[in-house]
Amino acid sequence: MTSQFCLLAALVLYTIGVLHVVVLALSRRRVLPLLTVTATLAGFAVHTAALSQRWTEAGHFPAVGLHDSASFLAWAIVLVYLATYLRTRVDALGLAVYPAAFALVLVATLTPAQDSVDPILKSLFLPIHTLLAFFGYAALFVAFAMGLLYLIQERELKARSPRTTFYYLVPSLERCDTISGRSVAVGFGFLTLAIVTGLLWSYSARGRYWSWDAKEWSALLAWLIYVVLILARFRTGWGGRRAALVGIAGFAAVVFTFVWMTVTSTAAAAPGGLP
Amino acid sequence: MILIAGLSHRTAPLPVREALAFAREGLPEALHRMTSEAGVSEAMILSTCNRVELYGWSSEATSAAALRSFLCAFHGRAEGDLSPYLYGFDGDEAVRHAFRVTASLDSMVIGEPQILGQVKQAYQMAAEAGTLGSALGTLRDRCLTAAKRTRSDTGIGQNAVSVSSVAVELARKIFEDLRGRNVLMVGAGKMTELAARQLVKGGARATVLGGRTFARATELAAALGGTAAPFESLRDQLVAADIVISGTGAPGTVIGPEDVEHARKARRHRPLFLIDIAVPRDVDPSVRSLDGVFLYDLDDLRSVADSNLKERRKQAAAAEAMVDREVREFLGWQRSLEVVPLVVELRRRGDEIRRAEMEKVRKRLGPLSPEQEQALESATSAIVNKLLHAPTVNLKEMSRNGHGAEVVGIVRKLLGL
Repeated sequence: MTSQFCLLAALVLYTIGVLHVVVLALSRRRVLPLLTVTATLAGFAVHTAALSQRWTEAGHFPAVGLHDSASFLAWAIVLVYLATYLRTRVDALGLAVYPAAFALVLVATLTPAQDSVDPILKSLFLPIHTLLAFFGYAALFVAFAMGLLYLIQERELKARSPRTTFYYLVPSLERCDTISGRSVAVGFGFLTLAIVTGLLWSYSARGRYWSWDAKEWSALLAWLIYVVLILARFRTGWGGRRAALVGIAGFAAVVFTFVWMTVTSTAAAAPGGLP
Repeated sequence: MILIAGLSHRTAPLPVREALAFAREGLPEALHRMTSEAGVSEAMILSTCNRVELYGWSSEATSAAALRSFLCAFHGRAEGDLSPYLYGFDGDEAVRHAFRVTASLDSMVIGEPQILGQVKQAYQMAAEAGTLGSALGTLRDRCLTAAKRTRSDTGIGQNAVSVSSVAVELARKIFEDLRGRNVLMVGAGKMTELAARQLVKGGARATVLGGRTFARATELAAALGGTAAPFESLRDQLVAADIVISGTGAPGTVIGPEDVEHARKARRHRPLFLIDIAVPRDVDPSVRSLDGVFLYDLDDLRSVADSNLKERRKQAAAAEAMVDREVREFLGWQRSLEVVPLVVELRRRGDEIRRAEMEKVRKRLGPLSPEQEQALESATSAIVNKLLHAPTVNLKEMSRNGHGAEVVGIVRKLLGL
């Protein structure tokens, strides 16, 4: 089985999740929740197979170019979602996760895989750095989604009368805030390690830590925003609305980092384009 | 056939329901009399404040009218006076009614959870009195399963529909867990008490502020397992409070924006849920604009309750569809039972003929070896089984489609059974 075939299978299985949350949003009914979780687990399994297959095909860790990055990010998001969902049982989180995972895998299936023979990709830093970074992105995505749900539920409660379906679907403010806060902590840890390994990789490949690249700056910006957020939470019990807003700002920087990384790595199977 | 007769909040006013209700102690006797006087072999009585219903099962051509008469006779009432309030269902209709009642689709407040326990208990009483047989027993099992399924798969049981439970629901939408939360009661009235009681049941701690009537505050605090504090400590109490229920009879506002603002810094950004059930209002509406402050007055609570009720009605449509499916399945299963005696008889008859013919063959052929005996046995059995297979399947199929009784008659006549 080729990686593309496995990826299509994963796409089909994730579609069940998308349908589930569409029905959930429209009718507030949890239709076949067990089937959905099972399909997602199965989707994740074939997705893992697709990535490992792709690793063999490409000859390097599959995180270079749009095809691989999108697929890999979706994989990390689904993994973090499953871990979060099985612990917290927050259905509303699926409203953000399933469409995102589906879209990313769809993008991956529609774009050609890029292979590169750049020697820099043989480095052990590629898998380590990428795994850390993508787990970080995924956890921060969950934090972002929970922050968004917080803001939506807060709006519902401030309106003093349930106006949209979200009043019923979204968990309590405290729950959104707690899950978001924890995900930020986890994501921040990964992000920190990803930045450190990124610097080391750059040094070992090119003899310098910092390349004055936009990706590096935006990663640093995201990191700083999250430092502020975490410190504020710890020191002043900051949370809720402002934490959600700052978390969204931090995530915007993360998105920019990811997009820029993908663009440059896509443009540069050319030597020296990475990291 | 399953029979149901009775009355409910839909058909009868409270005094009538009261007059025909059954006391718990009297139930065993009533159940026994039902089986001896109303022509049913199984009996169950469901008596709640919203309905009185008699459930019975009879293999004969009895109808629910017999149960209606029994209900009136038992309470010494003339049936003529009561007939506008009474209903009766036979067979399929009765089954459907039983499923709908258990699933809380026939309740005054759709989806209210008590009915499930009441139905369970009613069957339990019947079982103890020895009037519950396999027909009503199966009905019970199917109804309870269907009711639980509709509850878990649709939202009919979700979302509060009374003012005080809406307050609790909102508190849970903000705080998730009420354990360890501080509820501050400003004013010790009936309404504040009702809401506070529910919050305390969820694990919250109550503090009651008392003004001129401090004795009343102390009393209420004791009842709620909390503490009382003087009214002057309002600002300090606001620092510790998570939920404030205000219901004083004061003519002006009691909690203003400066009071809340004062407490905000020390609160370290914890959300504050203010419930104002006083008319005129106790809390200045301008505190709404403050971050992390949620203020609901009486009208707001009512509007949430209304939305929730609409939501339940919407979910009730889905629940009705589910119950419909369950009823059809149950009726199909019940009908397939009609042909069971016939199928058993067919098999018995086939086997009889087979054995008789085998005997004849044995006499003619003399002693057989075990292998020959075995071969003869399996060949004849196969003939009987193959011949009866299609009729058995088709009988069950036809009975499921409601032609059971008719087909059973024809087959009996045809085969001379």
